[in-house]
Amino acid sequence: MTKRVVTINVNGTEHSVQVNPLDRLIDVLRDELGAKSVKEGCGTGDCGICAILVDGKLVNSCLMLAAQCDGRRVLTLEGLLGDPTMKRVQESFVVNNAAQCGFCTPAMLMASWDLARHSANPTTDEIKVAISGILCRCTGYYQIIDSVHQACGESKR
Amino acid sequence: MSEQVSQLLESLREKAGKGDLLYIGENIVRVDSLEKVLGKPVYTADLIPKGTVYAKLFHSSIPHGVIKHMELGAAKSQPGVLGVLTWRDIPGLNESSAILPDRQLYADSIVRSTADILGAVVAETLPAAADAVGRIKVDYERLPAIFDPLEALKPDAIKLHPKGNIARQMRIRKGNVEEGFAKSDIVFEKTYRTQFQDATPLEPEMGLAIPEDGGMKVIGSMQSPHHTQAAVAKVLKLPPEKVRVIQAVTGGAFGPKSDETPFDVCSTAALAAMKYRRPVFCGLDREESMVMHTKRHPFVITHKTGVTSDGMLVADESKIVGDTGAYASLGVFVIVRATFHTVGAYEVPNVKADSFLVYTDNTYTGSLRGFGGPQAVFAIESQMEELARKLGMDPLEFRLKNMLVPGKRNATNALMDASCGLPQCVEKVVASSDYRRKAPLYGKQRGGLRRGLGIALLMHGNSLGPEGNDYGAVHMEILSDGTVSVGTGLTEYGTGAISGMMQVASSVLGVPLARFKLERPDTSKHRESGPTVASRVVVIGGNASMLAAQKLKAKLVPLAAGMLKAGEDEVSIADGVAFIRKRPSASVKWDDLVAEAYRRGLSLKEDGFFMAPAAPWDTEVGQGTPYVQYTWGALIAEVEVDTETGFYKVLGVHAAYDVGRAVNPGGVLGQSYGGTVQGLGYAMMEELLHKDGQVVNPNLGDYYIPTSMDIPAEFKAFIVEVPGPLGPFGAKIIAEPPIVLPGPAIRNAVLNAVGVSVDDLPVTSEKVLMGASKAARPSR
Repeated sequence: MTKRVVTINVNGTEHSVQVNPLDRLIDVLRDELGAKSVKEGCGTGDCGICAILVDGKLVNSCLMLAAQCDGRRVLTLEGLLGDPTMKRVQESFVVNNAAQCGFCTPAMLMASWDLARHSANPTTDEIKVAISGILCRCTGYYQIIDSVHQACGESKR
Repeated sequence: MSEQVSQLLESLREKAGKGDLLYIGENIVRVDSLEKVLGKPVYTADLIPKGTVYAKLFHSSIPHGVIKHMELGAAKSQPGVLGVLTWRDIPGLNESSAILPDRQLYADSIVRSTADILGAVVAETLPAAADAVGRIKVDYERLPAIFDPLEALKPDAIKLHPKGNIARQMRIRKGNVEEGFAKSDIVFEKTYRTQFQDATPLEPEMGLAIPEDGGMKVIGSMQSPHHTQAAVAKVLKLPPEKVRVIQAVTGGAFGPKSDETPFDVCSTAALAAMKYRRPVFCGLDREESMVMHTKRHPFVITHKTGVTSDGMLVADESKIVGDTGAYASLGVFVIVRATFHTVGAYEVPNVKADSFLVYTDNTYTGSLRGFGGPQAVFAIESQMEELARKLGMDPLEFRLKNMLVPGKRNATNALMDASCGLPQCVEKVVASSDYRRKAPLYGKQRGGLRRGLGIALLMHGNSLGPEGNDYGAVHMEILSDGTVSVGTGLTEYGTGAISGMMQVASSVLGVPLARFKLERPDTSKHRESGPTVASRVVVIGGNASMLAAQKLKAKLVPLAAGMLKAGEDEVSIADGVAFIRKRPSASVKWDDLVAEAYRRGLSLKEDGFFMAPAAPWDTEVGQGTPYVQYTWGALIAEVEVDTETGFYKVLGVHAAYDVGRAVNPGGVLGQSYGGTVQGLGYAMMEELLHKDGQVVNPNLGDYYIPTSMDIPAEFKAFIVEVPGPLGPFGAKIIAEPPIVLPGPAIRNAVLNAVGVSVDDLPVTSEKVLMGASKAARPSR
């Protein structure tokens, strides 16, 4: 397989990377570009903990090829560490005990941030839908839902 | 508990200074939450250094047979492949087992399941290793296989292991069940079955080995680093001190990571690192993890129970058969816990139980949250519901008559003391669910959608008890900047227990948890502390942590007294300030106090070690006090069943747990929510299926675990605090218990809604519909 160069904007910075046609986005992000917050839980698109934003849409980075991202904008948790909305979501996760083992946390934060920037006062059902593609085995989701409510400025469920 | 130990604990509590305990019962910020919300690279796969090579395991493709020949040539000659490891490459013992030495790291001749490992390909990249694995050809001579534990128990069954098919047997003899049955008005017998459950920690098992000065450094995702150290050292034929194991931040565990799979990945990485002198990563993908690691044992449990017409339990006889698959693993203790909990949270004067942990050619089972409790309690709580119906009694009233309260005795004949908080738990959930109003109404329902309430009660033995000495060591050092550095061989893998353990020290020392830092568990620095299992960190580790903190406080208080020109007994430390109690303005800040200690050359480094008192029991009759204390719980589930389709929803869950003392209430609730939802999965949807010894759904597309869309809209969680004798400030364990009750409570709720008894988990809509149509037929 011949490598080709693709240009991906990751967290605001343009990166030209040499990729094989079958290289997965998750591997390029983690191994080439240092975005270790992106976790792999299954590799088959079922668990959602590799979720990131591509051109503003939440996607599973294990199901996307790096080559598909040529010319696109990719956002991972690393790129949002200075963002005020993300900071609010993170603080809310901390005080609501929403991160237990922490392995799904980056993806949950991405999904929650994506919801928070679009919706000022989401309902519990909207929050459930927003995080429904991401599995968490520790929390039973309740404290994550509480966190999103709080970060979005609404009272708890 | 022995007089001596209870005196020790009592004096500790007094010394800890009740007035100073600012932080017990406070919702804390966990010491590890920041690195998690920042997405820091702290998990094993994040730590792979440049130049690392990859080891990929390969497995038996048949459930039982003899390896005739392995053709490795094609794999070895692939580009990028360094070599293939098999049993011949093991310098030490070819063993990867927790308790019984019944399992090899790499099978050398006989394979007993499709989870058996034959070896590993080591290559420059993971795809190259995976590609080479696909080129390995193995010839087998097939042997007949057994997949049903009841078949394996038959006297004429083929022997799967040299010593036969029973890995462990256990029994209880309390009173005389025959006499009990004779005195009973109703004797009822039924059989209940449970399924394979996968733990599904979101991070699969991972091991990274890096050769270092004459030995090996191993970093991995695990619960028990010292056990992993011993296992790796045996395989490498190195003295244990030459193997340094560090637990990386671990992305969920739930039991399998205390069992044998962490040994497999760490031993493989270490073996390859030793041979090729390169860092080696051996990580499982989801499918490998689900095939290889220990699952929850399927059980077949038959109860024969005698009861008087006014609803008093008289006798219970149970036969408990657990399918351990090809290997015993920690299952030898799972069967013991299941047996001790065979009549659950009830007093039964006459109990007879016989249990068998049985080998089959299924993939092996072992440690998983609840550890035999979920199966045993599903059976007895289902049986209780059936009995209530036979008696024509309300299931709550029937339970209230028979449940354990102070002064009653459980299956092992242990006397329940004042620390039994079961009645308070029941009271909470009955009120919260509005049971007394709703239950009679729901009995009169007609129509397509019907609601039902189901109850289940919990007794959960605390401490390792029959599983070995229960101890923990905590190293504590106050650094010159005032930071309290804590190290222990006990591990964090998600529950927050280590933060709870440190919270105990923080309260004793009078310094906020924010001033604490946790060292990564490291066998070269931290003393062996037993396995991190059985939810024991806050209770056992908490006591060790309290002891270490107390020793440090014994140095700091006199120092502060000297600085403040006061008597030692006049000085307290709270919220990072040492002060004279009668004159709080006379004070010295924590940082200045520590700085003074450093100036004077005081050592601020102490260890705490705590061992739980012995829990003696007679192995012949299963009688005694195998547990030092118990966690209590009650759960009521409300369901709505569609009688046309069998589809049902859990509308609400009301759960109360007596945790003795909630050190960190937010953490306790987190365990209640998380464990309950994992239990809902077990109750409603999760089933790892085997067909002829092959796992047919080892992926998260075909094996469902609950998503955010599956959780009940209403979840009322209650904390009950009736102090126990063992844990710091009366704390009891909480991480495991919440997974136990959803299974029977939901099963009973469905039964009460539509009259269908589902006696084999999970309670799927299909089973409900089949049961409903069967029940409807005779009336037509």
